[in-house]
Amino acid sequence: MAVDKIIEVPLVLEIPVGPQHPALHEPLLLKVYAEGEEIVKVEINTGYNHRGIEKLCEKRSFYKDIFLVGRVCGICNTVHADCFVRAVEEILGVTPSDRARYLRTLAQELERIHSHMLINAVMAEIVGYETLFMLIMRDRELIMKAKEILTGCRVLADYIMVGGVRRDIDDAKKEKILKILDKIEPKIKYYMKVFEEDVTITKRLVDVGIIEPKDVTLHSLVGPIARASNIHIDVRKSDKYDAYGEVPFEIVVRKEKDSWARMMVRWEEALVSLEICKYILENLPNDGKAVPDERRLPRRFPPGETFTRVEAPRGELTYYVKSDGKPNPYRVKIRTPSYNNIINTGFVYLEHSIADLPVILVSFDPCISCMERVVVIDLAEGSRKLVPLKKLASKG
Amino acid sequence: MKPDRIVIEISSENLRKIIGLLKEKLGDEGFYLNTIVGTDYPSDKLFQIDYYITLIPDEQTIVLRVKIPREEPVIDSILDLVPGALPGECEAHDLLGIVFRGNKYLKRGFFVPIEVAEKGIYPLRKDSGV
Repeated sequence: MAVDKIIEVPLVLEIPVGPQHPALHEPLLLKVYAEGEEIVKVEINTGYNHRGIEKLCEKRSFYKDIFLVGRVCGICNTVHADCFVRAVEEILGVTPSDRARYLRTLAQELERIHSHMLINAVMAEIVGYETLFMLIMRDRELIMKAKEILTGCRVLADYIMVGGVRRDIDDAKKEKILKILDKIEPKIKYYMKVFEEDVTITKRLVDVGIIEPKDVTLHSLVGPIARASNIHIDVRKSDKYDAYGEVPFEIVVRKEKDSWARMMVRWEEALVSLEICKYILENLPNDGKAVPDERRLPRRFPPGETFTRVEAPRGELTYYVKSDGKPNPYRVKIRTPSYNNIINTGFVYLEHSIADLPVILVSFDPCISCMERVVVIDLAEGSRKLVPLKKLASKG
Repeated sequence: MKPDRIVIEISSENLRKIIGLLKEKLGDEGFYLNTIVGTDYPSDKLFQIDYYITLIPDEQTIVLRVKIPREEPVIDSILDLVPGALPGECEAHDLLGIVFRGNKYLKRGFFVPIEVAEKGIYPLRKDSGV
């Protein structure tokens, strides 16, 4: 029989990155298929940290859920609690005092600064600057200290409660936090300059992982990723929750669309957050108690449903809470920013080299415990059709 | 829905038409799909599926609410129109058993541990016993 067809099978490397991997600090598996150095397909597998929190919320009372949702994510626990508590307050018709709203905003902005510093430090480590990682993490401790002065805890604050916050601050604490903010500002500006000017950092980040504005909206990407692609979205401006309607600030947007722009958006946002914190501390209203009496909080929940949004450090976080008049919520749906930002971005890695993969992933600020779910599948749009050896072998 | 979310109840047949119209009128950069929330109502024998859509630049969130029968939970997928629907659809399938017609990525064990999925349990159904 004459040979009329030759099938050439290109050598395709299958590289599992994670779930335990020195470059990634959280459990996530990126199954990368590469032809030579070039990535041709990425499968994103998660589900290593699934805890069934939405179901647990249905089994507990609204008040207990506040502590549960605060533990969805360690780094952004205050925003989770704030989003859920505001949803519950909408159902109950409770309005916190102005002082409480300002203090909530302060806690969230401190959280944003330390979250942005953390991921920039991780990025420094990924591109090979371990000392820079250590230095940023050292200075991040100052913000953790400020958060401890405000809320009583460095990380898991459990600061927000229905009708207000758990602790008020006095003038001495206010001064202490202001002093810390003054101390950290030149440091953040310095690190920002390093990211702007350092040859290695710019070579590794610039033009890597470009996302077009159209792809941002089609794939529902949120937060600094969207803003680095020139999409003007920021829940703080649009929903004006807590004190954001009264505090002056600008949305940080960049046009470069690459990994570098995403990191720079975070540095600039950290500086904006510092200004917000200072404004709040200098203009803290005295309109009444920030800490409500827990024993007098309403125990009966009327039926109703709410959909609240909050600008978490990683992007828009949403809560849908439905009450049917019973002590437990009927349904709680949490949509975290990483859920969209990590699962929907498989297409960004394509046509980059293997070495760019950790850089692009870190520029998305992945938070696996936030995302908590799912096994995803190929988003290889526009990838070349390849027949992996494995598949051929399995088909005989 | 509080606070200031407009809820538009539509029939499941019109869903794709409306998303298509949104794309046509606002363009790809004019809106994004926020999330998909499925809720089980066994007493009414239906599943409620909410599509939260945020309109840019004002970031106004609107809700497209679809109700489908519980016995035959099938609805058209919008994955080809809005790729961002992937996690929402896959999650609703895995937790509630809703089938999104046309979404080839649906599978059990996507999110739920495989030993639960193998028993055919959909955890967020009210009668799942979880």
